Amino acid sequence: MKRLGFYLKIYRKIVIQSFKSKMSYRSDFIISMIGMILTDISELLAFYIIFLNFPSVCGWTYYEMLFLYGFSLVSLTPLQCLFDNNWHLRHYVYDGDFIKYCFRPIDIFFYYISEEFDTKGIGQFLVGMGTIIFAWNKLKLPVTFINVLAMIVALFTASLFMIGIMNFAAATCFFLTNSGYVMVTMNKFRDYAKYPVTVFSTFFKIVFTFIIPIAYIAYYPSLVVLRPDHIPVLTWIAPAYGILFFFLSYKFWMLGANKYSGTGS
Amino acid sequence: MRVRAWLALIRAAIMEFLQFRVSALVMLLGNIIYLIVIYNLWKAIYASVDGGVVNGMSFNDTMIYLVLASAQFTFMEAYLVWEMGRAVQSGKIVLDLLKPIPYEQYLLFGMEGGNIAAFVVTFIPTFIIVQIITKGAIPMGINLVYYLIAATLGMLINFTIDFMVGTICLYTQSIWGINIMKEVVVLFMSGATVPLAFFPETLKKIVMFFPFHSIYNTPLMFLTNSSLTTKDSLLMILEQLLWVIGLFIIGKIFWKISERTITVNGG
Amino acid sequence: MEYVIELKNIDKEFKVLNRHEGLKGSFQDLFSRDYKVIKAVNNVSMKIKPGEIVGYLGPNGAGKSTTIKIMTGVLQPTRGEILVNGQIPYKNRTSNAQNIGVVFGQRSQLWWSLPLIESFKLLKDIYGISDKDYKEMLALYESLVDIKELYSKPIRQMSLGQRTLSDILAAFLHNPPIVFLDEPTIGLDVSMKAKIRNLIKALNKEKNTTVILTTHDMGDVDALCERIVIIDKGTMLYDNDINHLKSFFGAYRTLKIKIDKHAEELSQDIRDKEKEQIENLLKEGFEAADFTVGQDEDFYSILIDESQVHLMKVLQYLQEKIKIYDVLLEEISTESVIRKIYEDAENLKKKE
Repeated sequence: MKRLGFYLKIYRKIVIQSFKSKMSYRSDFIISMIGMILTDISELLAFYIIFLNFPSVCGWTYYEMLFLYGFSLVSLTPLQCLFDNNWHLRHYVYDGDFIKYCFRPIDIFFYYISEEFDTKGIGQFLVGMGTIIFAWNKLKLPVTFINVLAMIVALFTASLFMIGIMNFAAATCFFLTNSGYVMVTMNKFRDYAKYPVTVFSTFFKIVFTFIIPIAYIAYYPSLVVLRPDHIPVLTWIAPAYGILFFFLSYKFWMLGANKYSGTGS
Repeated sequence: MRVRAWLALIRAAIMEFLQFRVSALVMLLGNIIYLIVIYNLWKAIYASVDGGVVNGMSFNDTMIYLVLASAQFTFMEAYLVWEMGRAVQSGKIVLDLLKPIPYEQYLLFGMEGGNIAAFVVTFIPTFIIVQIITKGAIPMGINLVYYLIAATLGMLINFTIDFMVGTICLYTQSIWGINIMKEVVVLFMSGATVPLAFFPETLKKIVMFFPFHSIYNTPLMFLTNSSLTTKDSLLMILEQLLWVIGLFIIGKIFWKISERTITVNGG
Repeated sequence: MEYVIELKNIDKEFKVLNRHEGLKGSFQDLFSRDYKVIKAVNNVSMKIKPGEIVGYLGPNGAGKSTTIKIMTGVLQPTRGEILVNGQIPYKNRTSNAQNIGVVFGQRSQLWWSLPLIESFKLLKDIYGISDKDYKEMLALYESLVDIKELYSKPIRQMSLGQRTLSDILAAFLHNPPIVFLDEPTIGLDVSMKAKIRNLIKALNKEKNTTVILTTHDMGDVDALCERIVIIDKGTMLYDNDINHLKSFFGAYRTLKIKIDKHAEELSQDIRDKEKEQIENLLKEGFEAADFTVGQDEDFYSILIDESQVHLMKVLQYLQEKIKIYDVLLEEISTESVIRKIYEDAENLKKKE
């Protein structure tokens, strides 16, 4: 626990400093932000077009789907903002540059991840929050303390899953030559997170619940608010499972880092 | 002749692609999963309508369209904007410019090898799988020839757009932002995200004014729409051809102007 | 503790995939499980005392970086014993890291987008440096180099020289007993090289830090190292102090003499005659010794093996016999000695 305090203290300083330095590259910040928001808007447009042609998806209405989408955007924000350096991991590993992270008396994973703070996730967060609030209003969901608290817990939990998935995906570069496609493929899964898992066949329900747990990114946690009368067990265990899953992904990442022996000399 | 240089670039890119070992398999697996996911999803979407045909698209049509669009994406998208942006940032572009071949040709044929390999590894298997699952829903005739021509032209349009957007990277540091904007606009306006058939009329009209639908939608039409006449087909290909020529000229001029910034700034 | 680093019979092996050539080979590799074992480090032993500056040399791919990775605890040796600061480094990388500082060539270990002083502050927290030690260290740095003006500059905006400087300062910041420097002067201009060398020397003196330095620049070696270790193809070729190195292949020095005031006007015939004359004189004077006499522009060069006869004696003798206008002395350079060591090892391999 003392260690945790130590890491939090360092992390807070790094994030504040990186944020300041990112702000000094204003044009990059703005262009990235627009790019991010544009992506989200194109998704919203896609929903809009689909629901122009179809009344509902598997019993889910337009606004419920919007809610899920907004939820997934917000819960993916921590991944985008704090864990973006995973995308560069394979370059560091193949060029032999990863070695530089091995010489500090702190956790390699922490040290590596802390190096990058990505501001463009903020745009995604804003669009996500806007969408949630819009859908929440349209669905006339009650605003109670319990609901808001549940939302916050659910969002935190959901974040852990996608971060875990991307940790696993990024760490494959320690074992495979050119693992870029693993990252790209896994990243594609985040696109499926916005759909209710019930649309999938049994096999994929199991895969998306237990193996590549994207169903926890939006579907299971949002049931707390959307379908308060039918909350499945899986939703209740989500927080514990999220922590476990993240922990496993961390272990896998570290296993790779320890195996790493530097391709360059 | 420059053909030999082109062939050498293509060969090198194919070999580079195959060096990936496991990743080639992962890519295939990823596409299969994607296939199943959108199958489930659209099945659920179609479950809510009676009759099963919306805007002239049946469930099967939509599926074939989307699956092939995604397979087409894997062999057409070469992440050229990234490559150019990185080359600019690292200064490698100066070396690329020293090669005895114009830069756009160097990029095009360097990318071509990867495209051909990806076409064989992902598109053809996907095509066969779709054909088996749908029990031969894709018409197999002269339209396949049209498809190959249209896909090649579509790829060239994609290339010229990428080249133009990549050139912007000479002016800004924000490669990620530029790239994502391009990708979103291209995928959405070309009908790769949602089939153009579902678009509301006004939106459809707007989209048709842009070159993007010629990248994905036009080639796919030859595989999904069996009612095309020869005249329609030739007109569509002509439109693509005009886009290729027009965009290539604009891109080349833009590049010529922008190239000077490298000579001025030293990359 | 007598030694800060002790290596005993260290081996390190890697498994490498055999890649096939050509287009067909690429297809084969898709499913191939054909590995071979490469020995990167072969039976290396060394002991290093506190405060030493050791030059760790070898051609590219000799196994230098692998050895350093073993010493820093990143790699576990396949065989052999190793102690760094009395600890086994790979058993506890983190606590070993607390006691070492590392600079790896052009790869900055500082936070890319942060101003230098912020990186320093973070390192202060990470290594748990006390306020007092931190302030003292910064004061020391400021007295050695102009670092103050760099404090507010982010690493990404720095020149290579400034970045290297910052990285070296960061490596010494927590006052570790050992600092590893991997090609610290690579790619730097002459004045920056001198600046970096002076800095390393000063920090080593001030803090009695042991420095392990790998480099290809013999200027670094001449300026900094008292002792050098040479490795090639994983095997140690040499481990001794630098003065001893020069006598490794016999103690050669070159004496150059000019015997004609207007040597540039002489024809080649006369020069050859004079050369012969010198050779004969040397033969008469020192029967037991071998000399190589050459002609280098206006000078005649005499390569003398000082284990046979002292250079001063030769000079004295010649001065009595002929009139000498000018004299030059040349040491055999560190660079040429090391090149000779690499080449000899290469020839030995070929013979086997």
